[in-house]
Amino acid sequence: MRYIPTIGIECHVQLCTKTKLFSEVDNDARGKEPNSCVSPVDYALPGMLPRLNGTAVKFAILAGRAMNCEINAYSRFDRKHYFYPDSPKGYQITQFYQPIIGAGYVELPSGNKIRIEHAHLEGDAGKLTHFDNYSLVDLNRVDTPLIEIVSMPDIHSAKEAHDYCKELWRLMCYAGVTNGDLYNGNMRFDVNTSLAPEGSKTLGTRTEIKNLNSFRSVERAAEYEIARQTKVLEAGEKVIQQTLGWSDATGKTSPQRSKEVAADYRYMPEPDLPPIRLSSEFIEAESAKLPLMPNNYRALFHEIIKPDTLEVLLDYPELMHKLNEINKEYVKSISNLFTSVLLAEEKSAEYLNDLPAAKDLEELAEMNAKKELSSTAAKEVFLRLFDPQMKGRGAKTIAKELGLIQENDLGALEEIVDAVLAKPETQKAQDDFRNGEEKVIGFLVGQVMKESHGKANPSAVQEILRKKLA
Amino acid sequence: MDIKREDIVHLADLSNFSLSDAEIGNLSKNLQDIIKYISQLDELNTDSVEPTYQVFEMENVWRDDEIVEQEANREALLTLTKEEKDNQIKVPKVL
Repeated sequence: MRYIPTIGIECHVQLCTKTKLFSEVDNDARGKEPNSCVSPVDYALPGMLPRLNGTAVKFAILAGRAMNCEINAYSRFDRKHYFYPDSPKGYQITQFYQPIIGAGYVELPSGNKIRIEHAHLEGDAGKLTHFDNYSLVDLNRVDTPLIEIVSMPDIHSAKEAHDYCKELWRLMCYAGVTNGDLYNGNMRFDVNTSLAPEGSKTLGTRTEIKNLNSFRSVERAAEYEIARQTKVLEAGEKVIQQTLGWSDATGKTSPQRSKEVAADYRYMPEPDLPPIRLSSEFIEAESAKLPLMPNNYRALFHEIIKPDTLEVLLDYPELMHKLNEINKEYVKSISNLFTSVLLAEEKSAEYLNDLPAAKDLEELAEMNAKKELSSTAAKEVFLRLFDPQMKGRGAKTIAKELGLIQENDLGALEEIVDAVLAKPETQKAQDDFRNGEEKVIGFLVGQVMKESHGKANPSAVQEILRKKLA
Repeated sequence: MDIKREDIVHLADLSNFSLSDAEIGNLSKNLQDIIKYISQLDELNTDSVEPTYQVFEMENVWRDDEIVEQEANREALLTLTKEEKDNQIKVPKVL
């Protein structure tokens, strides 16, 4: 029997607001001492009042719209109770009954649409570090704003799970609501997987793999879980509904001890936080701040940039926004430079933060189009445009200063060619060429290039040589 | 509604309380009484009444996203904890 996998994914996105969701302390604890970004609210001291961060509400609108979701005019908060040292309050403030983001969908590069059930705002928990006979609690992460995005079970392969997570990451990065740093847990995925016989109307028993923090882990874990469940079902056994952990090192899922008796969170309305009511004008005004999204760029550039290359470039929102500022006729050559120079050398992180001005890139592309630069020289000038010492001077000035402008002046080139042909050491090559040895033309072009200090345009040189040796 | 001993044990477990047998008995009775008292409300017909989630009728109480220097610093807050180690709160091993 053939089994069809069905996957639904919950994703937690940490928002890059300046302060936390309910307290006025620094939300960016990267590289900071433990418990240095905390307030009495985070400690849940008696009498402390949480106060909602307005920017988190605005970010939720952007995130929702990035996923083509309805934004609910009315939403409010609930308490989800559980007892664990990562949460001094003894409950998490979340939106269980009336979330801010309603139904929508994410369209994958394949064109498949994954529906979003809803998404809501909630506070993150603190960080625990476990030792032999004690655990340490760092509350820096308590109430970092999160958006939890719940997909419908519309995903049917490990690869598609990967693609969904990656597209979600891009959408959130383009919307500007997260730093998108997966290594530091800015986005975490829970993958629910079940298998059902082909044609079956009902879904099988599902398992939940918790807390995956890379697209690769999502794909590998889903792949493993599909294979494991297939084996269980083929042996005539039943899949047990359970929570699993994933180990990148062993490449296996294993049952996790659950924090709390399932579904006993005793949700109740959060009395300290008044509800959110959004006018349609406010929602529209905030939504209008959404920049162009990956799908807009796919539509804009699909005829100019090869799909594979475009998918790579789409990982860098700033780069795409920059390409969009550039005159369309130069987009291809500039995107090629980005691909071959920056992305190939993995300089992306440091370089892509501060991109050259569109006019400098256009000037470079124009010189390129006129063949004033060799391809090596174009790459060199391109890199210099990122150099704090050089940038701002303009591509042309930089190319001139570095002596990289290619010699296209036929008169000047002829003089150099004549000089080279007059040299005794080129006589044999000239004879060989006349006798039909085609490939020695390369040697002669090389000699001319050397004589011109690399500035001659090689195809022009070859043309002149062929004329002279005919 | 009958509150049984198991209910109290379960609730205590969720909140990580350890209770003596006598306390379990007392709490069962107390909770039973509280629920009975509140149950008087069941006499009212609330079919057409919107649930009240918030008694102040306020909406959109938001603050600006700006960091405010806290009077209670890390040291002051850590002294409130039972035990600390390396600027973190030390708790019995969990998980």
